[in-house]
Amino acid sequence: MNPIYLFFHKTGSPPWFYSFSGTLIPWLWAGFFIMAAYGLYLGLLVAPPDYQQGESVRIMYIHVPAAWMSMMIYGLMAIWGFIALVWRIRIMEVLIISSAPIGAAFTIIALTSGSLWGRPTWGTYWVWDARLTSELVLLFLYFGVIALYNAYDEPRKAAKAASLMAIVGAINLPIIHFSVVWWNTLHQGSSIGTSGSSIHPSMLWPLLWMAIAFKFFYGANLLSRARVRLLKQDHRKRWVQDLLTEGKS
Amino acid sequence: MSHTPFILAAYLICTVVLLWAALSPVINRLGLLRQLKNRHARMDKA
Amino acid sequence: MSRQTAGTAFTALLRRDFLLAYRRRAELLQPLMFLLVVVTLFPLGVGPSPGLLADIAPGVIWIAALLATVLSLDSLFRSDFEDGTLEQMVLSGQPLALIALARTVAHWLVAGLPIVLLSPLLAMWMNLPDEGLLILIESLAIGTPVLSLIGAIGGALTVSLKRGGQLLSLLVFPLYVPLLILATNAVSSAVAGLPYTGQLGLMIAGLIASLTLAPFATAAALKLSLT
Repeated sequence: MNPIYLFFHKTGSPPWFYSFSGTLIPWLWAGFFIMAAYGLYLGLLVAPPDYQQGESVRIMYIHVPAAWMSMMIYGLMAIWGFIALVWRIRIMEVLIISSAPIGAAFTIIALTSGSLWGRPTWGTYWVWDARLTSELVLLFLYFGVIALYNAYDEPRKAAKAASLMAIVGAINLPIIHFSVVWWNTLHQGSSIGTSGSSIHPSMLWPLLWMAIAFKFFYGANLLSRARVRLLKQDHRKRWVQDLLTEGKS
Repeated sequence: MSHTPFILAAYLICTVVLLWAALSPVINRLGLLRQLKNRHARMDKA
Repeated sequence: MSRQTAGTAFTALLRRDFLLAYRRRAELLQPLMFLLVVVTLFPLGVGPSPGLLADIAPGVIWIAALLATVLSLDSLFRSDFEDGTLEQMVLSGQPLALIALARTVAHWLVAGLPIVLLSPLLAMWMNLPDEGLLILIESLAIGTPVLSLIGAIGGALTVSLKRGGQLLSLLVFPLYVPLLILATNAVSSAVAGLPYTGQLGLMIAGLIASLTLAPFATAAALKLSLT
């Protein structure tokens, strides 16, 4: 049997997923810390201040990666939501609902860091331009998915509802991406794209390292949350009982 | 206007939020395991 | 059953309400999220022009606070009514007004106080000038307890009704009008550099009046709903 297919098939089994993710998590944390340390070193100590914006540009090294994560996670939730609705795979449902708070956290980081970046550079904590507004709407979408899931008593029904909501809400994502093109706003023009970027390399590298570091954070945090949720959902099942009696791992 | 307080505030909020995100499954897990162990102990006694 | 003083009954009720609130905390966050979403809708609806937003800021924030409070009031007595706890409370022999006050205090701490704490964020979104921020917070700190106190009367009157929620809003919004007028006027005056202490003083008087009178009205309404 094709090993890749076999791998994905195995991840559908909660006990296998639980033990496999348990071995993966420390590596993901290690990756996060190493890359974040390097990214922050580059961003805070090596990279120069911006010609126009001064030192405050250093906020970009957490603001932009956080914003990217906020959108990526919602996108993943929508895709997994579709898979979960069509194929009814319980692990996917767990991953979706475990992702939501992490996505919301990154959205909050993006909004607050953006607000603090805006005050010294553009004079205002908040402005209703298309991109900031869309990011705020994204935060409300996250809150909505979380609230919707918590409102249902039955976990599988809740997951179905949350998946639907995630898919519907994913319409927001293209709007954020193209908003800077569609509207002429206060926000900086899209400077990182497939056509090469207009950011100086000394600033681009810390940005990219932080972006990757955040992905590792997401992976580690997601698996941790998913494992706890699996324990909670399956606490009556044999594999959890065995796990409890043999001492924790 | 000095930019430093804004940079510090932004990084601080980022750290706090990420810390919360990272720790909450750990706390939930400890609570859950304690709960399940208690339930087990009660069932074994019964 | 041992004799309880009214004081211990009050604290016991408060503690119970907090425990219940903690267990349902996802539910309680919804009116607050509603508050944030409603305020966000205004710039999207009327345009982001900073001057316009600043002009309508006191009214928008206060109206959003009213709407969020009414949302949280509907469930004030409902679950206790449905499982019979409310009846037990009425029969307990403790002064019903005190029970009503305990429930109202818990409601304000869980639903009204967060609105006060969120108001600086709302003020930032609506471009409220700095001169108005402190007065906004003060007006909400004085006004949200009044919203809870008067709202409890409405909640008690409608708890036994099927579609109580909509009727609750209808009943309670007219009663809120004087508070809304005073509060928004206080904030606008502060922004314009005009005196605002008269408005705040009247609001405080209103708070004292509702604090002393509303629990009795709520108690009467509860007795009515239970018969």
